Amino acid sequence: MTRLRSIIILAGMLMSACSPPPSENVVLLPVADDPTISFRVWFKVGSQCDPAGKEGLAALTAAMMTEGATEARSYETILAELYPIAASYGASVDKEMTIISGRIHRDNLDPYYELFTDAILHPAFAEEDFERIRTDMINSIRKSLRYANDEELGKAVLYDFIYEGTPYGHLDMGTVSSLENITLDDVRSFYRAWFTGQNLIVGLGGGYHDTLVFNIQEDLAALPASEPTQPPPPEPASFEGLHMRIVEKDCNATAISFGFPIDVLRGDEDFWALALFNSWFGEHRNSSSHLYQVIREARGMNYGDYSYIEIFPNGGRRQMPPTNHARRQQLFEVWIRPVQHAHRHFALRAAIRELQQVIENGMTEEQFELTQRFLGKYALHYATTTSRRLGYAIDSKFYGMHGEYVELFRREIANLTLEEVNAAIRRHLQFSNIRIAAVTSGAEEFKRDLIADVPSPITYETPKPEEVLEEDRAIMAYPLNFTEDRITIIPVEDVFD
Amino acid sequence: MRLFIHAMLLLTLSGGMLMAESGENGVFPYAYTVETLENGLTVIMIPMSGSGLMSYYSIVRTGSRDEFEAGKTGFAHFFEHMMFRGTKNYPAAMYDRMVTEMGADANAYTTDDYTAYHLSFAAEDLETVVKLESDRFQNLDYEEAAFQTEAGAVYGEYRKNISNPWQVLFEALLGKAFTRHTYGHTTIGFEDDIKAMPQLYEYSKEFFSRYYRPDNTVLLLAGNFREADAMELIRRHYGDWEAGYQMPDVLAEPAQTEERSVDVTYEGKTLPLLVVSYKGPALDVGDPVMVAGSMLEELLFGETSDIYRTLVLKEQKVQFISADFGFNRDPRLWSIYAMIKDEADIASVRTEIDRTIAQFRSRTVSDRQLADLKKRLKYSFLMGLDTPDKVAGRLARLTAITGGIDVVDRLYVAYDAVTPDDLRAAVERYLADERRTIATLKGRE
Repeated sequence: MTRLRSIIILAGMLMSACSPPPSENVVLLPVADDPTISFRVWFKVGSQCDPAGKEGLAALTAAMMTEGATEARSYETILAELYPIAASYGASVDKEMTIISGRIHRDNLDPYYELFTDAILHPAFAEEDFERIRTDMINSIRKSLRYANDEELGKAVLYDFIYEGTPYGHLDMGTVSSLENITLDDVRSFYRAWFTGQNLIVGLGGGYHDTLVFNIQEDLAALPASEPTQPPPPEPASFEGLHMRIVEKDCNATAISFGFPIDVLRGDEDFWALALFNSWFGEHRNSSSHLYQVIREARGMNYGDYSYIEIFPNGGRRQMPPTNHARRQQLFEVWIRPVQHAHRHFALRAAIRELQQVIENGMTEEQFELTQRFLGKYALHYATTTSRRLGYAIDSKFYGMHGEYVELFRREIANLTLEEVNAAIRRHLQFSNIRIAAVTSGAEEFKRDLIADVPSPITYETPKPEEVLEEDRAIMAYPLNFTEDRITIIPVEDVFD
Repeated sequence: MRLFIHAMLLLTLSGGMLMAESGENGVFPYAYTVETLENGLTVIMIPMSGSGLMSYYSIVRTGSRDEFEAGKTGFAHFFEHMMFRGTKNYPAAMYDRMVTEMGADANAYTTDDYTAYHLSFAAEDLETVVKLESDRFQNLDYEEAAFQTEAGAVYGEYRKNISNPWQVLFEALLGKAFTRHTYGHTTIGFEDDIKAMPQLYEYSKEFFSRYYRPDNTVLLLAGNFREADAMELIRRHYGDWEAGYQMPDVLAEPAQTEERSVDVTYEGKTLPLLVVSYKGPALDVGDPVMVAGSMLEELLFGETSDIYRTLVLKEQKVQFISADFGFNRDPRLWSIYAMIKDEADIASVRTEIDRTIAQFRSRTVSDRQLADLKKRLKYSFLMGLDTPDKVAGRLARLTAITGGIDVVDRLYVAYDAVTPDDLRAAVERYLADERRTIATLKGRE
């Protein structure tokens, strides 16, 4: 142990009764009675930093750090050492952030800490790990994304569509050809350039001792000191009208997502108002969602219908919003879960029509008050664990916000008025310029129907109330102004190739 | 002393049968109490300090296992949907509105052995939750039209699921592995049965009447609440719920005497999938060989196993390999899953799985290996208990299978007692060739 380390530990022990001095580069969330310790080390690098032609490099580099060998340990040895302590660590890579995270019971902190920091400081970038991880990523695109999850496929196509031509405009995982184009030397160079001591924030949460705060900062200071230059925020191209990408695929239901960029970020003045609107319009996987009520509850057309004002990946696998997808550019998105092919045109009309109605008419007092009460308490579920609270704390640092996020969120929601919400809806949302992605069979036919704006009557196997049938007549004829040049069909084999 | 106080308190307040227990000496880190009302409703309460949230699980000990009548598969899961359709006291819209006003995170899920309805909410709303939940379990009421609409949503869910190749494979695997037992169908049910659901309105009421009874239900509460307050509310609102659970006529599966196999084609592209399944036992924590058997999933096929090293890290023939030797009410399947990168390697991956099991028959697990596994099981359990919802969620299956919670500590005591001989005996008993069904799935070229 170095003399400096001893002094720091001693200092830490002396200070253990009070908080460590604030540092620009740490996010701390002490929870004394939590028997576990959560780590989140945030590197300011993401898929937006991928070089052209080597998309997926950030994701591959992070995976090589957390799913491969270090200089001192083979990956087998790492797995063997993590095994008895029931622990793991992993990386999540978004457009702007890479988070190396893990959690450990405090009984097992020492062996875990050694492994966790070793992965960050001394990745081996071994050839056999590279082949394994890159092949897994290529297979994830070729087989899983294209063929095993139409909803995620549709959403991934939508994100590329919306951010086309910007550093956000590619799948974090890259494409088959860009991954094949990446060499191990690319990974090493990317690591050296971006995983530096000046480009990270350490997040710690739970029942840790203050010495850990000092130790991890000192240990990670061994990374190169350089501070890379961040790319400018993306500026998605403006567009007019409805634009659609249809993935032609042999499938038994149509998955649809649509959206457009918005200029509101978490913490902005209108963010809270839009958050309340969005909760009413489409709270994720919640039957209180208005879209859910219209499309699923009243009509039984699918499994659920939701909306978002921040990116929400892997919605099918999570109930609460993800953390650590903080971005300088966000989007409004609607997710229509798979509907019968015969209902796809109707479902799209219904969702865009609902959006138009709320933009033109605003929310009602009753809807506003109910949602305000709902969100005030529902937000308690956003961050029930120390690890998730730490995730939010890191996001708050990204957005320059202060205080515990969920508390702030609840306070801001409680202070809103209906007028503020409706004004924010009108300021930031619209229903005319939308990009849409669909995964379906019979794409040509769908395209013809859309261009001709043919009515899309719906029939049900079960009786429906007259008010539903009456509304159906309005929905089936709701005009969607598509033109031929704004609809593209892509065979599924070509997606992300 | 703690036990005694609980017992006295509960005796004073209830006229019902009761027991009171505490996990203080076991691995489970929270004290708890258990009470059974006269009508058979079991209530498990686990107070936890912290966030002000609590979790409320209503566990109906009926799952797809209990769908024993031909043409009626999928009803346990369908009921999970119908339970949100309201009562005369609280019609669906009012129920939804009240849950929304509470900001509760409310959902439900169905498994082979049970159906769980769960809410996570601010503890101050406990009374409202008890009122709502007790009401819908006793007084569910829905019109035929609503029933039929929900059948459409269920069929939508089926269509969503079946786009996943694993679901296609499981349907085929279960159909092959079981000839009589109801584990032969997946939880969502056969597609033809789901299509026919809209015509079975009357049957749905029969299903509810048979299984949604207090003597087939366990309430599991965890979080920031006072047990005496919760019990008082529960007695008041569930006390009149009439017992009357009717056991389903589930046929025992005859012993399998020879290996079976099934190959399916997936109407899409996918890496080839392989499942090797053995007939496993019903949960019995009193049987050291059964408990040892459940540990084999980690020991033989976990991330530190020889086969993982060979197939994932060295030869890189599989995208992943893992095993699930889980707990069930009746003997079901203990399965090994692999996603294989190249169709040409299916046979060699199978051979490797066989070799792993064969080698284990003649090998003794080292003390270190066994100690590491026991430590892993303990810490993996403890680290998963960090919110009331996770505590209740982690306990749900064991509670559903046994009807109680004491099984948790007994299970971890049993893990601790497992010896290398128990593990070898488990391989001999359960992982025999004639108990095996092998299923493969290939995508379309």
